[in-house]
This record gives sequence, C-alpha cells and structure tokens, in this order.
Amino acid sequence: MFEWLFNGKKLRENGVLGMNDRNYSVIAKYNKRSLYTLVDDKVKTKRLANSININTPKMIGIIEFQYQVKNLLDIVKGYDTFVIKPAHGSGGKGVLVIKKYDAEHFYSASGDVLSFKDVYQHISNTLSGLFSLGGKYDVALIEEAVNFSDVFKNFSYHGVPDVRVIVYKGFPAMVMMRLATKESGGRANLHQGAVGVGLDVSTGCPLKAVMHNKPILQHPDTHANLMDLKVPFWREHLIIGSLAYDMTGLGYLGADIVLDENRGPMMLEVNARPGLAIQIANGKGLKSRLQEIDETYPSGLSAEERVDYVLNH
Amino acid sequence: MKLNLARFFTIRKVLSFLLLCAIVYSAYSIYYKVKYWGFSLSPKAVTDVWTVDAKVSFNALGENVKVSLAVPNDKDGFKILSEEVVAKGYEITRDKVNSRVIMTAPLKTGKQNLYYRLSIYDDAQNVALNSLVPAKVERPILSDEERLQMSKIWKLSQNQKGDKVQKAILAVNQEVNNPTMSLILPITHTTKEFAEKVIQVLAYKRIPARIARTIKLEEGRKTEKPDIMLEAYLDGRWKLYDLVSAKIGLPKNWVIVQRGGVSLLDVKGGEDSIVVFSVLKSVASPLKMAEHRAKANDKLWSYNYSMYTLPVFEQNTLKWLMIFPLAILVVVIMRNIIGVSTMGTFTPMLLAMSLVRTGFWPGLICFSVMIALGLVMRSVVAKLNLLLVPRISFVVIFVILLIQCLTVVGYRFNYSIVSSAIFFPIIITAWIIERASITWEEEGAVNTLKEILFTFITAVVTYFVISNEYVRHVMFAFNELNLVILFIVMLLGTYTGYRLTELMRFAPLIHKDN
Repeated sequence: MFEWLFNGKKLRENGVLGMNDRNYSVIAKYNKRSLYTLVDDKVKTKRLANSININTPKMIGIIEFQYQVKNLLDIVKGYDTFVIKPAHGSGGKGVLVIKKYDAEHFYSASGDVLSFKDVYQHISNTLSGLFSLGGKYDVALIEEAVNFSDVFKNFSYHGVPDVRVIVYKGFPAMVMMRLATKESGGRANLHQGAVGVGLDVSTGCPLKAVMHNKPILQHPDTHANLMDLKVPFWREHLIIGSLAYDMTGLGYLGADIVLDENRGPMMLEVNARPGLAIQIANGKGLKSRLQEIDETYPSGLSAEERVDYVLNH
Repeated sequence: MKLNLARFFTIRKVLSFLLLCAIVYSAYSIYYKVKYWGFSLSPKAVTDVWTVDAKVSFNALGENVKVSLAVPNDKDGFKILSEEVVAKGYEITRDKVNSRVIMTAPLKTGKQNLYYRLSIYDDAQNVALNSLVPAKVERPILSDEERLQMSKIWKLSQNQKGDKVQKAILAVNQEVNNPTMSLILPITHTTKEFAEKVIQVLAYKRIPARIARTIKLEEGRKTEKPDIMLEAYLDGRWKLYDLVSAKIGLPKNWVIVQRGGVSLLDVKGGEDSIVVFSVLKSVASPLKMAEHRAKANDKLWSYNYSMYTLPVFEQNTLKWLMIFPLAILVVVIMRNIIGVSTMGTFTPMLLAMSLVRTGFWPGLICFSVMIALGLVMRSVVAKLNLLLVPRISFVVIFVILLIQCLTVVGYRFNYSIVSSAIFFPIIITAWIIERASITWEEEGAVNTLKEILFTFITAVVTYFVISNEYVRHVMFAFNELNLVILFIVMLLGTYTGYRLTELMRFAPLIHKDN
C-alpha cells in the first residue's frame, strides 16, 4: 500500500520533474518575473503576438471602465458571434461565448438564454475582478469566437480541445492535447477530469491518454478511440509555441493553441508556469527532455529552424 | 578562476555554511545561558532558594560587646541571593578574608538576640573548594607511645578502601572503641575531638587538614550546632570528607558555614552565647533567578541586553512571537516537503495559534461549525451575484455576527466550546469561507473538502508542535534557535527533490518493465 513512498529513485531515473525542481531550477532561473506581465494580461499578449504575426482570435474591443459596459452593442456591431473574457483570467474562468443575439437576448454557446442585464452584470463582475488572479481590477476583452475545426468533434465533449505545448528555451519540449469531458464540465483542465493525450513532439501522434492520472484508450463520453487522434498543421502548432518564446522571452512556457477551421492554429494564451501533469499524459519525464535540450540542442536558431530541428530529431 | 569561485559559492553551500554558523552560535549561546544565567531546558525546572537564619543569643555583661560569627562564603558552592543582619544598636562590619560578620556595640546588658539571614541558591557541587595551597604541615611532636599508636593506625588503614584520608578516617573510626586509643581520644568524645584526632593522624603523614562546619539544608530544620566535616588537602586540592562514612564531597544541599580551626561564634562581653540555625526552603523559576546568576557570574552586561529584562507584558508578547518561526517551519515542511496544498500559505498557522488559545477539541469543533455555517450563507449570497469587494465584506460581517452570537450563547448556556468562537481571527475565517466557496463552484465539492481537510491537518500538526510546553519554553529561553530555523527555511528554499505527495502523483510514470 505504501510502496509509492519508495518511488523517488525510479522517478529520478525516469527524469520526472517535480514541483520544487520546476520552481527552483527552471522557472526561477529562466522566467524573469518582469516578463510575467506579458502573459498575465491577455490584451498585452494578443498585441505582442500580432506584432510578430502569431495567429490569435481577432480582438473586437475592450471594456475598461464601468461606463463603457453599455457600449457593448456598439462594440460588437457587425459580429454575430463573439467571446467576452477577463484579461487576467486563468483556467477559462469568466469566459462567456455568445453564439448569437437579437434585440432582447444573448444566446450563449452552452445553451443559456441571457438577458442584456445578465451580460452587463457579467462584464461588471469581470471589471471588479471576480475572475482575475488575486481579485484585482480587470478589463473585459471582447474577441472573435473561434470556429472550431471539425477534426476534433468526436474527441471532445462540449468544450474546446486545445493543444498545450511546453516550450523550453524556444524548443517545443513536450506536447499534449486536452479534451473536455462531461465530468470536467466542458473545461480542459486535467485535475477537473479532462482527458490528456500526450503527443509525440516530432510526429504529432498520440502516445498515451490519461484521465485522473489513469491510462485510458477511449474518450469516456464520445467513446472515440483516442489513439486515432491526429492533429493537422502539426508544424504550425509547434511554430506558434516556438514564437511564443521569441515574443515573451520566457525560457519555460506553456502555449495553449486551438485550431480554427478557417484560420488554422491560433494561440489562445501563454502560461508562465505550466503544470507538470503533461508528464503523466506523455508517460515521460520532462526533466530528461529539458536536459537533452540543454546539452545537445544548438542555440542561435530562428523559431522555424528550432521547430525543424525538433521535427528531425 | 572566476568559474571555480562561482562553483564554490553556490547558494546552497553559502546557506549551509550560514546554517552551520547559526548552529554553532546557538550551541554556544545555549551553553552560555545554562552556565551563567542558570536557564534550564525544562519548563518545569525550579531553583531551590534556601533561607538560612542564624540566631545568636547571649547575656550581655554590661561591657562593650563584640560578636563574631562565621558565615558561609559565596565561593563555597552556593550563591548568595541576599544577606542581611538584624542587630539593633550594633555596628556591623564584615571580615571578608575570614568570612565572618562582626557586630559591635558599646555597653550592653541583658539578653541579646542578633539575627543573620542568608538566602542562597544553586547547590553547585562542582565548584572547587577553596583552592589555596596550605603551608607545609609540621609533624606533631609525639611521645613514643603516641608514635606507636600512629603507626598502628596507619598500618590498620592499609586494609581500608579509598584514598589516604579516607583510609585514615575509617581506621580511626574502627579504633575508637579500642582501649589502647583512649590515651589520645577518650571513649566519650565529641565529633570535634574526633575530627581533631584525625587531623593529627593526617599531620603525621604531613597531610594538611582542617575542620569544616556545615549545615544541612532541609526544610524547617533547626539546629544548634552545625555538623562537622573534615577538609584535607590531597593531590593538589582540598577535599571534603564525611567523618563517619569517609565519603568525599559535600552532600547535596549542604552548605559550609565555616572552615578552619577557629570558632563558629565568638562573643566578647557576653556569656551563655548560643547560635541556632534554622533553614527554610522556597522555590523560584530559573528565569527569575537569571539576573542574580548573571550578576554572580559577572555576566550582567549580556543579561541586560536580553529580552528577559523586559517588563512582563513585553516578555509575554515576545514569548508568543518566538513560537512563530517554528510554526512557519512546519508550514514550509508541509507544503514543500510533504506537498499538501492548503488554503492560503499561513492560514493553517494562524488557525493553530487560535487553537492554542481555545483548546484543541472545542476550537476545532467550533471552527468547523463556523466554516460550515459560513459556507451555507455564502452559497445563498452567491445567487445575488454581488461584486467582489462587497461580497467578501458580507462574509466578514457575517463571521463577526456569528462570533458574537456564538460567544453570547456559549456564555449564557455555559458551553465553553461555543464561546471559544471569539478567539478565531475574523479575516482568516472569512477568507477560508470565501476561498472554499469559490473552489466549490470551480473544482467541485471533493476538491474543496480535500483542501479544507489538508488545511486542518496542517493546522493540527502545527498546533501539536507549538502547544507543547517544552517547545514553547525552549523557543523562548533559547531564542537564538530561531536563527537556526531561519537558515533551515532558506535552505529548504533550495530543495529540488520530489514532494512526498508527488511520489504518489507521478506513480504512473514508473514503467513496470524498468
């Protein structure tokens, strides 16, 4: 029952990265604190990304102050569908996807019918910091909704599947796809019960799938065979991750990428301290991978050269 | 070269070195405090304070009176807390060299009662007895018969155990009833005469010896005459011997009043003089005695800059503060080594602090009830969709009202469990409720209960560490240990090993075929 207490040595041998090690040897060393603001604020991240031609959902507008809340309709004029999200949110908190609206109601993606008052209230909550880290005053970001590609239709329950790329010193180090389940409530967070599928960095092929730390082969709700998962535009996914390094200067980051039917892979957000669950989804330790990059990978390459290097090794 | 230096001065090595320094410093400081200030590692340790009263009575003959009383010397093991002489109309002087108190008065008549009172503490067995090297002893001039006896005694002493003096004492003891000895020592003799005989026997072998008068410190003891023991100079130092058993050393709780051949009490201008000693025992905590000890050891300057000289209120506050670093260490270990996630970094610590004041079970039950009620209320309010600051404010005010109600109800119906509510920090309580309710919405009930449980477990572990009487005493009396904790915490900041919970979390990453 307690044999797990003696796992330390084997974990070390398998190059598994622990939380303390991640914080001390990786994040503290390669992620300067001053750079965090670049990724904590989604408006800033989006502007930065656009400046170096990373695809992101187009920004429609921002609401910064309470008096601007009533201008929502003016801001979204010409768009049938849009997303309201807090600029400092995390983990999908406070994201409201509006599928359509008419003279009286908004219709959300999850099927709710909301009055104008409800939506205004939601934006007010966002501004007062209800969804932001530490409850600080926030800004509501309004952007185009992603037209999710049908490729993943069978692999996700309701929510949006996304690709998480861990980028170390500009090299894509480890990748997983996160699929929402009924249990995760349409969210793509592994600890809430989403499925994580580890993908081979060089081929994009599934390695392993886990839910609640346990290996699975089928999606629990759609019953699709997870080993059939194939991510199109693999190289483009990796290039976005690699560019996120150029854009932020963070030596260790997690880029969340979604696939748009018309515009291809788009970056949703960048995380300065991505979690370690990706190791379980891949069945591999991250530390040995980081060491490999440290010791054998060349420096001074451009983003595309780095991705090509990874694809060929 | 530069590179080597950089490798030599890694953060971890520097911190380890500093930790080592802190440990060495603390060890010295603890030694210093125990030795010079008399601090004890145990909170229950008490120092016995003995009050020895010497009452000198005599009938004055109408002449000038001079009373000379032998008194204990503070080099004789015990330390003197206070000394006073009550002798109305007498002029008091002290003879430090011979350790005597001299009281003089002109033309006294009638019954005189003089008092000498001494408070002493610290039965320090190890303190070396008066180490003055005595003058060479001349062999006594003896008759042939006496010489014969001497050699007989020394011959007898060969069969006894112990050092030379012990052997001599035992031999004389054995021979005391022998009629042949009566020439020098009558069969009925006083202890003093016996001691003088032993001194003579020792002098035969040129061993310096003298009489020592001692009092046994015993609660409520009253004694007319101090007990006589023997001091002999052997192997380069003075040793004290019991005259019956020949045991070496002053027994525990005995004090030497006077030594050497001179009398205990001399009264000029008076008759029927008598001195009665009485002994009274009281206790004091080592912390209270520290100042006297520091003074006695000539270390008052360091003591004056310690926190033990502060007023009691400040001391109590500091005593409370001195336990915090240890509680913080527990939290650091729980989070970074064990790897449990708690609500807020130091919330468990503050919770534990409250438990110390409320008592364990009452506090835990009351707090759980408060959190539960708060969560119910919070879930009702959640539907109102209030803005953040007003919503948290609502929870804070609700908690305040809850504490008020519980305390009043607890007092009225005499449930101490309920009234312990008042000791819980309002903001912390409100914060746990707010945080728990958000976690509940976002991560579900299981994760919330898990997090609350871990917070409680951490608080309970912290509680058991900081509520321990020994720990609290040690952290206050030897507060330099906090410096050690400081560097341990910093060193833990460089710990990159797996957390205990990660060993389980990452278990799927162990390949069975490896």
